Amino acid sequence: MKNLLFIIFFVTSCFHMLSSEEAKAFQSTYEPNDSGDIFIEDARILTGTGKEILKGSILISSNKIKAIGENLSKPTGATVINANGKWVTPGIIDIHSHMGVYSAPSLRSSSDGNEATSPVTAHVWAEHSVWTQDPQMPLALKGGVTTFHVLPGSANLIGGRGVTLKNIWSRTVQGMKFPGAPYTLKMACGENPKRVYGGKNSEPSTRMGNVAGYRKAWINAQDYQNKLKEYESKSDEAKELEYAPSRDLELETLVGVLDGEILIQNHCYRGEEMAVMLDIAREFGYKVTAFHHAIEAYKVADILADNGVCAAMWADWWGFKHEAFDMVWENAAIVDQANGGEGCAIIHSDSSVGIQRLNQEAAKAMAAGNRAGFDIPRSRAIKWITLNPAKALGISDKVGSLELEKMADIVIWDGDPFSVYSKAEKVFVDGLLLYDKDDPSTPKATDFELGIINSQENRL
Amino acid sequence: MNKKILISLFSFFMSFYSFSEELLLKNAKIHTATDKGTLETADLLIRNGLIVRIGKNLSSYQAQVEDLSGKVISPGLIAPHSQLGIVEIELIPETRDDRSEIYSAGLNIDSAFNPSSTLIPYNLTGGITLSLTTPSSSGLFSGLTSVFSLSGSLEESLIASNVALTANINGGEDSKAAKILLLEDSLDLASITDFGLSPFITKGEVKNALTRNTKSNYYEIFKSFLPADVYYSARDLMALKKVLNREIPLVIQANRASDILALIDLSKRKNIKLVIQGAAEGWRVSKQLSEAKIPVILRPIDNIPHSFNELGARLDNASLLHKAGVQILIGSHETHNAYLSRQGAGIAVSYGLPWQEALKGLTKNIADVFNLDKRGSIKEGYIADLVVWNGDPLEVTSFVEGVYLSGKKVPVKNRSMKLKDRYLDN
Repeated sequence: MKNLLFIIFFVTSCFHMLSSEEAKAFQSTYEPNDSGDIFIEDARILTGTGKEILKGSILISSNKIKAIGENLSKPTGATVINANGKWVTPGIIDIHSHMGVYSAPSLRSSSDGNEATSPVTAHVWAEHSVWTQDPQMPLALKGGVTTFHVLPGSANLIGGRGVTLKNIWSRTVQGMKFPGAPYTLKMACGENPKRVYGGKNSEPSTRMGNVAGYRKAWINAQDYQNKLKEYESKSDEAKELEYAPSRDLELETLVGVLDGEILIQNHCYRGEEMAVMLDIAREFGYKVTAFHHAIEAYKVADILADNGVCAAMWADWWGFKHEAFDMVWENAAIVDQANGGEGCAIIHSDSSVGIQRLNQEAAKAMAAGNRAGFDIPRSRAIKWITLNPAKALGISDKVGSLELEKMADIVIWDGDPFSVYSKAEKVFVDGLLLYDKDDPSTPKATDFELGIINSQENRL
Repeated sequence: MNKKILISLFSFFMSFYSFSEELLLKNAKIHTATDKGTLETADLLIRNGLIVRIGKNLSSYQAQVEDLSGKVISPGLIAPHSQLGIVEIELIPETRDDRSEIYSAGLNIDSAFNPSSTLIPYNLTGGITLSLTTPSSSGLFSGLTSVFSLSGSLEESLIASNVALTANINGGEDSKAAKILLLEDSLDLASITDFGLSPFITKGEVKNALTRNTKSNYYEIFKSFLPADVYYSARDLMALKKVLNREIPLVIQANRASDILALIDLSKRKNIKLVIQGAAEGWRVSKQLSEAKIPVILRPIDNIPHSFNELGARLDNASLLHKAGVQILIGSHETHNAYLSRQGAGIAVSYGLPWQEALKGLTKNIADVFNLDKRGSIKEGYIADLVVWNGDPLEVTSFVEGVYLSGKKVPVKNRSMKLKDRYLDN
């Protein structure tokens, strides 16, 4: 109910021009069953806030974390899970996924991530492409991923809205939508847009064409924003006499960014381009929340930290295209340690394979950083796949760390989560045990997987 | 004891008569990738690029000695199926030498191999010392695999040419049945061809060549064997002949259980050596693979049902195949990060593959299947391609501290490290 109120507040404050029916469209209908009381004891906890509790307990009650710390007393009536000294972390958050919009099997008929028909498609929403029965989703759950952010692809300068989803089985995308998560807008720098449109002999075909394209879009957005403001400022009588500016899906989204309600997630590999994108943001008065695939973030780590921008990176992917040629293993560590530890580093996957072991990817990046002379403990590196992506998605008040009143998205690992040999053993989403290594009926198979290998068995 | 003194004296005197170079690596944990498994603390004596002794408390008067206490040594890892040296940037065609429309089965990529590719020192830094570099043309036959050292040497990188023929029955619009038929017909054609022909067999040339050839009326046979738009050069047919003569294996990319069975059947009928690459559903036919003694090249992190040909992909595939007695070779998804085969091996271990088998999958088994003589294990008489690690080679937080190629320490430095140094110092 609180969530619902928040959404109503959020939507009404942000899109005050929209009617109530328009504003209600596509709202989250996710409502978990009551988890009851669960007490996880004797756990080695990486809290996601930078702390490590060597021998701690967590109390979950009605889907929320109600207590965490050492020497908690066991409440009566709670289901007790003895972690036997095993590691516990917040649920993992992948800020860059295309699950549901590029589903498996990878077929032309399910390739729904790039509306590559025009360089600015701010009017499309990734959630309208999501196939909820993508079998990649439960595999990610087995890897400890409890929340993921689905973006349109990078063919376009402005690709459309992204959506943040809870990693749960649902018949509808509304049923997966993270309650209260702000919308995001995908933008893309560099090679992809200029290749897609340059290849059709249309604009943009160069990086300078890319930049002109973004600026043109923001100029249109400012015009629309002014029209809306002008109409709003009129007296009720005056409003009676003239029509409100007509709705424009593309410009509504862009104005949402200018109003600070929609968060920019910007695919951008090169250092120079990140700096240019920050200038465009200054020119039009919006904020870049995170650069994704930021292969060269280490070259501009201080600039990113000065501007409060996160960089979402891979641990070691490189070389598939020219702008991915200057990869360094220490990228995440250098971003993290910028300006005396003020940087915001995120490890993302962009891959249904990588999403299953973001913990290992973070481990590689942490080890590379420490080898380069930094001192980055697990308790800090875990933030790269929990609290930092939560911040960049605008949901860090609800998930990303094990703190009071947050959603009980929790992973118990069968070993050190920073090891190749470790696997998630139990994964809770809102306090509900959706994956248990010892229970073969979990995670719940998608519809696709039923009887797909032979008529007797499911795929998982 | 006397024997030891005698050997030492012998080496001492021998050093006056030869230019033998000796290196003694002491006190390391040694993963041999042999049936001896792991030696907790041992020494390695290397002479003229070969491992000559493995044991405790070795000494030598003339050897250069390195104390590797606390370090771990493994054989150099081998990339079993990559485009190392023939691809620089995937999306830039002018940096790619891995594809051909001119040749198919006969494509040998030796002359295009670039020892100065940035991928070579990078993957050496990741622990790879040898690459089975394989073209990746999109037709049925991709071409021939050659073996290269990652030494970066302009003149001495090639270790062995044409060690396998690679084919692929997936992809494209054509029925897999048609591809398997074409595979069979191509082998049949090669089996009846001799090489008195001109290098290119275009239709006209074939006719001319054959009318001159008194031996037979092959042209009629060719026509009945192959569809109109398929042609092979003599080079292509020669590659197929090598497969037919069991000189080299045919490596076929296949994932679906029923496809694998069809290929096993073909390999029996043609009496050829087969290796299955991919084998995502291999676990479903592990018994048949084991009985036919067909090795598999796996990427153990494959568990996504990317297509309807691999719906049964799962992470314990390697473990299940090994249990059934199938020889496992472990590769990586990407050429640029060919060395990440070791992470895949670690993941396979976490799903039940014994650790020693995982290491063999990265080293010894690859050398065995492709006949890489004296490579892939730490064994007396073997070539000293070695990697020194700061910990478990399969662990993601471990890294390479040193590399020896044929007993010579080589620099562990790459372009990426130089970039890091530049920006870290700022």
